[in-house]
Amino acid sequence: MTTLVVRRLLQVPLVVASVLVITFALIWLIPGNPMEQEGRRPPPEIERAMAAQYQLDSPAAFLGAYAARVSGVGWVLGWNDRPFDLGPSMRHPDWTVNEIIAAGFPVSATIGLGAILIALVIGTLAGLVGGLRPGSWADGATQSVALVGISLPSFVVGSLALVLVCAKWRLLPVAGWGSPSHAILPMIVLSLPFAAYISRLLRFGLAEQMTTDHLRTARAKGLSRSQAAWRHALKNALLPVLSYIGPATAAAMTGSFVVEKVFAVPGLGRHFVEGVLGKDITLVMGIVLVYATMLVVLNLVVDVLYAWVDPRIDLAGGATTTG
Amino acid sequence: MRWFALAALLVGVALAIVTCERSAPRAEVTFSSADVFTLDAQRMSYMQDLRVARAILEGLCTVDPDTNEPRPGVASSWEVAPDGRTWTFHLRDDARWTTGEPVTSDDFRQSWRRLLLPDTAADYSALLFGIRGAEEFFAWRTNALAARSAQGQTDWESARALWDESLDRFDSLVGLRAPDPKTLVVELEAPTPYWADLCAFPTLSPIHQPTLKRFERLDPVSGRMGYEPGWTKPGTLVTNGPLRLVSWQYKRGMRLERNPTYHTPHAVECESVSILPIEDANTAVLAYESGALDWVSDLTADFRADLAAAARKWLDRHRVAYDALIARGLGVDAALAALPAPEPSLGERNDVHALSAFGTDFWSFNCRPNLSDGSVNPFADKRVRRAFALAVDKVALTTQVTRLSEPVATTLVPRGSIPGYESPTGLTHDVERARRELASAGWIDRDKDGLVENELGEPFPVVDMLYMTGNPRVKNIAIALAAMWRDALGVPCELRGKDGKFAKEDLRQGNFMVARGGWYGDYADPTTFLDLSKTGNGNNDRAFSNQEFDSLLDQAAAELDPSARMALLTRAERLLVEDEMPILPLCQYVTLYMYDPSKIHGLSRHPRLSQPLWRLHRVGADPVESSP
Repeated sequence: MTTLVVRRLLQVPLVVASVLVITFALIWLIPGNPMEQEGRRPPPEIERAMAAQYQLDSPAAFLGAYAARVSGVGWVLGWNDRPFDLGPSMRHPDWTVNEIIAAGFPVSATIGLGAILIALVIGTLAGLVGGLRPGSWADGATQSVALVGISLPSFVVGSLALVLVCAKWRLLPVAGWGSPSHAILPMIVLSLPFAAYISRLLRFGLAEQMTTDHLRTARAKGLSRSQAAWRHALKNALLPVLSYIGPATAAAMTGSFVVEKVFAVPGLGRHFVEGVLGKDITLVMGIVLVYATMLVVLNLVVDVLYAWVDPRIDLAGGATTTG
Repeated sequence: MRWFALAALLVGVALAIVTCERSAPRAEVTFSSADVFTLDAQRMSYMQDLRVARAILEGLCTVDPDTNEPRPGVASSWEVAPDGRTWTFHLRDDARWTTGEPVTSDDFRQSWRRLLLPDTAADYSALLFGIRGAEEFFAWRTNALAARSAQGQTDWESARALWDESLDRFDSLVGLRAPDPKTLVVELEAPTPYWADLCAFPTLSPIHQPTLKRFERLDPVSGRMGYEPGWTKPGTLVTNGPLRLVSWQYKRGMRLERNPTYHTPHAVECESVSILPIEDANTAVLAYESGALDWVSDLTADFRADLAAAARKWLDRHRVAYDALIARGLGVDAALAALPAPEPSLGERNDVHALSAFGTDFWSFNCRPNLSDGSVNPFADKRVRRAFALAVDKVALTTQVTRLSEPVATTLVPRGSIPGYESPTGLTHDVERARRELASAGWIDRDKDGLVENELGEPFPVVDMLYMTGNPRVKNIAIALAAMWRDALGVPCELRGKDGKFAKEDLRQGNFMVARGGWYGDYADPTTFLDLSKTGNGNNDRAFSNQEFDSLLDQAAAELDPSARMALLTRAERLLVEDEMPILPLCQYVTLYMYDPSKIHGLSRHPRLSQPLWRLHRVGADPVESSP
């Protein structure tokens, strides 16, 4: 297991570097230049000066200098003042990408993790209700709500929540960031689709487990329905949920763009989308670096957890032993 | 379960740490605006940046927010030599930086040099090209840097040597001198009557040189002088305007407060302003409704036309009283505040204000002889362009399509926006004449199928209409124009919506027949709009080129008599909007504000919309509350 983790960790820089090169190629293809404004362009000589300033006149030179600066090689060689410097944002030259990420990542991470926790609580409860008594009215009700939760886009739920909770009832502040009360509504809105999905995963997993032979044996030995479910079915039924949690956490932490925009939360997702629209190459590459690293690491964590929950899974060998 | 509880606890703690910030008391005025890009005055180009710069920095001149006439700023007075080329500015003795140091003429000289250096890559470098030798210096430094790179030099010494040489070159080439700390002499290439107005433009503001020096970093590889980010942050940034920067967080907000070292404290009516970058248009409205915002500085919500209609309804009901108040000499806001409150049951409101802006919404005709696919361009013929312009019912566009009742435009320079300039008439809606113009160009419906053909019987090519997606207003106008042209002229039209950057590329390549455009003026002179149609201008997407027009602009540039100069410019614009028609002006832009005139005072209604933030203040008994 340790060898596996070490090997997988060693792959991280490789994966991330490949993702960065692909990102760079894609964003380079967007026409225009990050410094120009909507609707007007400066005289051609100034446009050339702008391009030269950020080495936008030569992709190879740009990528080379970027790799040296970000990897720390440039620092070792004495070209750069600092290692791991993602450079200034091209559209917001007063800020370094490091500063923007340092400020935005905790915000997105807080909302994302909070949303996943809320989703786990709501999703598990709803899944248990349905899974223990499949076909009951409670099952029908929770699964219908879950279906709505999956189907409704965040901007609809978010806007509705804003109108009712913030503007009409004035329970929470409308927009911004600065106190826990600002975070509550974005977290809840972001959690809903995840909660719905978790409840459906658990409900079907549990319902299936309840019909297995070992469960029937457990019931025959005198355990009540809920005791049997709690001791023998739940752990297996949670497996799909567990494998979903990894990507879901990553998605919640990186994909909260819509929620961040609706609630004016200064998170990374919003910065990322605006970076792409404005062709802010350094900002987009910096955020992709964070996202890619996070995805790879989270997937590794899930794999390890998986092996821990289900000993039949042998990560190192890749073969599955029966047990 | 234990794990879950632990995770929940951790997230709770993280939440408290991340979200809890030291909360300052609520500012006197809080408003939403697009996020500020930079506080580096020389590199600014966005409206919201320029607005903040006007509040925290002061140039040689300022402009009166209500009349837009140049007024003394750091310069208490100035003289213009009889040839109109040499301007001598005298700086006031009590102009100080926030550090207490005096603002000197050399601060201006060095800041303008920085604006001019290609190293800075400033959008507005060209504003200074009017100074003798400035353009030459820009080109010299650009070429010198390119030559150094071509030689493969990447050492620090050669970069430094070139930099020192460039500074010497600037002193010898460029007509900008600071003979003493309180005098700045500017020599211009040509008489420029609006030079004082340019001196009020925020990119020409002074920068505190000792601060900048600490962040300057010469790049040995490119040879360029760059600056580490960080000198514009609160605590480091040194300014000289009526307000000073207190806090600024990326996409979280900015706070400005009264600057105690400002030379005229009684002119500052505002204790503090807070700027919140709320990008979602609906959220901004909700934040205003909930009381978190005092002013929405750019109301772009899709339902804004309805909000504006509700405000018009209210004002129409009190029109007589309002006109009487204005006749008594009250300002617009004071008059609005004195009217009876709106009746919500009637669907009225009094807090939405449509202000005409210093910009024109137009469509461009491609004037190139051939289209990008090589085919003959029907719009190369000015009769066709005039026909298309005459066929547009602009009143219907602004009342039924955009529903914002923007002032209809027949000229490019917004009518009445520049003192002393008489706008030409332009072309108005006239379908009969439009058909005659098209027929005179050979396009007639010969086979009576409702579509026009040329004498060879070939149908009019499908009109390729390029527009930028993302703004419903633009799309709706495009749809309406297509319908008007089809119905009035019998030409087939096809809409082609593209994302901004891609559409811009098509514009640059001339890959369109007609395309959506628009322009905001930078300074109070017709040339800020007319230069757009000059041969070879970088923003002349239409590739329009007319000798007579260019020569009229050149004559105007050399003309010393202001009224004769304006007359020449009027002739130039008449040529543009009555005869040649490379641009089809639709309407003047309108910016929608949301604020309660009985609570907030100090906003200007001048089309330049360069709002004086230092004048904003709260009125009435409404106490300033604390934010949570």
